[in-house]
Amino acid sequence: MPIDDLNKALLRLLSDRRFHSGTELASALGIGRTAVWKHVRELEALGIEISALPGRGYRVLSPLEFLDEAAIRAGLGSEAAALLSRLELHGEIDSTNAHLMRSVADGAPTGTVCLAEAQTAGRGRLGRNWLSPFGANIYLSVLWRFEDPSRAAGLSLAAGVAVVRALAARGIREVGLKWPNDILFEERKLGGILLEVTGEAHGQCAVVIGLGLNRSIPPGLGRSIDQAWMDLAHVAGAEIPPRNDLIAAILGELLPLLESYAERGLPPYLPEWRRFHRLQGREATIYQGEARIGGRIVDVTAEGLLILQCADGKLRRFASGDVRLRPAEGKP
Amino acid sequence: MDIRKIKKLIEMIDESDIAEIEIHEGEESVRISRCSSIVPAAPAPTPPAVTSAATETPAAQTSYFTAPSKSEDGDRITGHIVRSPMVGTVYRSPSPGAKVFVEVGQHVDVGDTLCIIEAMKILNQIEADKAGVITKVLVENAQPVEYNQPLFIIE
Repeated sequence: MPIDDLNKALLRLLSDRRFHSGTELASALGIGRTAVWKHVRELEALGIEISALPGRGYRVLSPLEFLDEAAIRAGLGSEAAALLSRLELHGEIDSTNAHLMRSVADGAPTGTVCLAEAQTAGRGRLGRNWLSPFGANIYLSVLWRFEDPSRAAGLSLAAGVAVVRALAARGIREVGLKWPNDILFEERKLGGILLEVTGEAHGQCAVVIGLGLNRSIPPGLGRSIDQAWMDLAHVAGAEIPPRNDLIAAILGELLPLLESYAERGLPPYLPEWRRFHRLQGREATIYQGEARIGGRIVDVTAEGLLILQCADGKLRRFASGDVRLRPAEGKP
Repeated sequence: MDIRKIKKLIEMIDESDIAEIEIHEGEESVRISRCSSIVPAAPAPTPPAVTSAATETPAAQTSYFTAPSKSEDGDRITGHIVRSPMVGTVYRSPSPGAKVFVEVGQHVDVGDTLCIIEAMKILNQIEADKAGVITKVLVENAQPVEYNQPLFIIE
């Protein structure tokens, strides 16, 4: 369902966390009380949790901060600002990654950034659904072209480092990574990064880097997530950075990284990546299709492949697969 | 499955250049692999982890897809071999349960997506670099693939 201006206006009114009576909202919006009720239901359908108390009115449970182009641009450093060629803010979209992948064919410029308040088909690896309620999180994708596709090797790991750096710069520390680039806090998933690559004419390629970062998952919705999750509201409490400012911080790391990546590659980011990696030395099982390979995670290669020491003492490298900690060592 | 049969299979594979074979019989299945679907620990040719599949430049086609045909591909294979430009996992459809990108007998044009190969959470669209009909699909969904491994035959 697209979010219309009236829904947006209603959300703005409800976003101060105070209760607002139906009558007050009706007069502020110039509509009837029944219409207010109808729009509240529409917002709820978008995944926004609203409490309604008889005699007091309506209130949004989690504070909302709309995507704001001016606020994002204001938070960018001059270097990142120069690299941001196009900034698209969407109310609702299927997936910011899917949108930019479609834009590639239309010639969208390198440095195009797409953000959405909500995604109807947010996705992770293996077509897994990425929960994308309205206004709650960050759904961000960046389009970047590489003249020589091989120069983008390892980019998924470097992108993880950029996000951890950005969070640290905004006071969110102790954030870790799980190979290749899940964003973790205390072994719970705070965010994920998915890259998509498509070939283009003349041998160059277009890379779309998508980030989903949990900011404040509505409690009701959180119960439906089937894995250990975390959001910034839990991590930072009242110190949670404003959403637009955090987006600016992420772009501030990611765009310059992309700009220099073809030349610099993964090596400058590897020491940090290793320091952030939370699975180092842990016993884990790698799931690859039907195959399962157990061992101890010892390192990553210079290209970013995961190195596992198997029971036979041999070192094996992995380019793909689901990494899961062994139950004995993993947290319950 | 009969253990003698498995032993025989291992011997057969040992004598061949097949990297991995999987056989299903009723509810049983066995997968025999030289390297258990893992990148060899020996220094591998540095595979481009990300690469463009469809290109219009013949030079790039040569480097990514029509690399010198190795004898282990078998003598019977004719047609244009689409090879994996990287180490990773093959996905034949955009998401689990969705329709596969291509099937045997299907006509493809240059630039059509044939499959996705995932490496380090990078989903690489592998596109047809030659128009024609898919005559063979040499990989299964979710199967790990090696650098240069044949994926499809286009004729």
